[in-house]
Amino acid sequence: MATETVSDRIALARADLSIPEAAAGLAFGAAIAFTLVFLQEPLAHDAMHNFRHAAGITCH
Amino acid sequence: MIVDYFRRGVVAGVATGLAYGLYLVFVGNPLSEYLHEAQHDHGHDHGHGHSHDHGHAVSETTTAIVSAGSGVLWAILLGGLFATALYFLEPALPGTDAVGPYVLAAAGFVTVSGVPWLVLPPAAPGAEQLYTIEARLGIYVALVGLGAVVSAAAIGGYRRTASRSRLLGVTVGAVPLLATAIVLPLVAPSIVTHPDLPGDLVAAYQALAVLTQAGIWFGLAFTVDRLRGRDRRRTATDRTRAGHSNVA
Repeated sequence: MATETVSDRIALARADLSIPEAAAGLAFGAAIAFTLVFLQEPLAHDAMHNFRHAAGITCH
Repeated sequence: MIVDYFRRGVVAGVATGLAYGLYLVFVGNPLSEYLHEAQHDHGHDHGHGHSHDHGHAVSETTTAIVSAGSGVLWAILLGGLFATALYFLEPALPGTDAVGPYVLAAAGFVTVSGVPWLVLPPAAPGAEQLYTIEARLGIYVALVGLGAVVSAAAIGGYRRTASRSRLLGVTVGAVPLLATAIVLPLVAPSIVTHPDLPGDLVAAYQALAVLTQAGIWFGLAFTVDRLRGRDRRRTATDRTRAGHSNVA
């Protein structure tokens, strides 16, 4: 365990996860990140307005 | 194993997110609304147009609820990212594995918030912006990349030199962080300004953003570390039990 390296972890993750599972996880994360940080559609943007300011996220 | 990390990260995100959601309900929302209102009056007195006319597409209640919910979701997103990164990067982090999550959380804060804020500081409602939103989002993404490089350089510098002396390690590790914190604000133009707000108020608003985002990362590291301790104790008891039943 003590001599484990980053590439060991990558190899282990490859064995543990199928490609669709990894893709699903990434897509889910990307969807949340896009909604919270990048979505500028006016209704969504205004509804999240206070959160973006309070969290210091770049806005309008 | 990656699934266990991810599960703990999401649970930590929910726990931290609920706390952060409460902060938004009781502090973030009222304060943002207040600043918004204050400048509406102010702006009209002086008759200059402000960038906030579009703040009425939805009701204040909707904004309050969605903003609090976004806060919860934000912590869950960071929790998932944090735990996945912890799984992959843990072998490269300094210290025992109880320290690792805190080091990575600090790196996460520097990457996602700290370095980008040196150029694009948290803006109070009514801030005037030098560039368009697309340009600023582009700058933000680039700064997140820079933040990751700076964090990696700091951790790498510490690891390479700490075996000789811990003090030397800390000094070498601090160099990239300090250099970025000093140089970046000097070379970057001031993109965000608050012409209609007193400086103290803006400083307080920004300090709250810094403290609460740092708090989220600390909460994630703390919860992930605790959950892992609990999981390990559980596996240990299961094993002992299984062992006893075999003997009996």
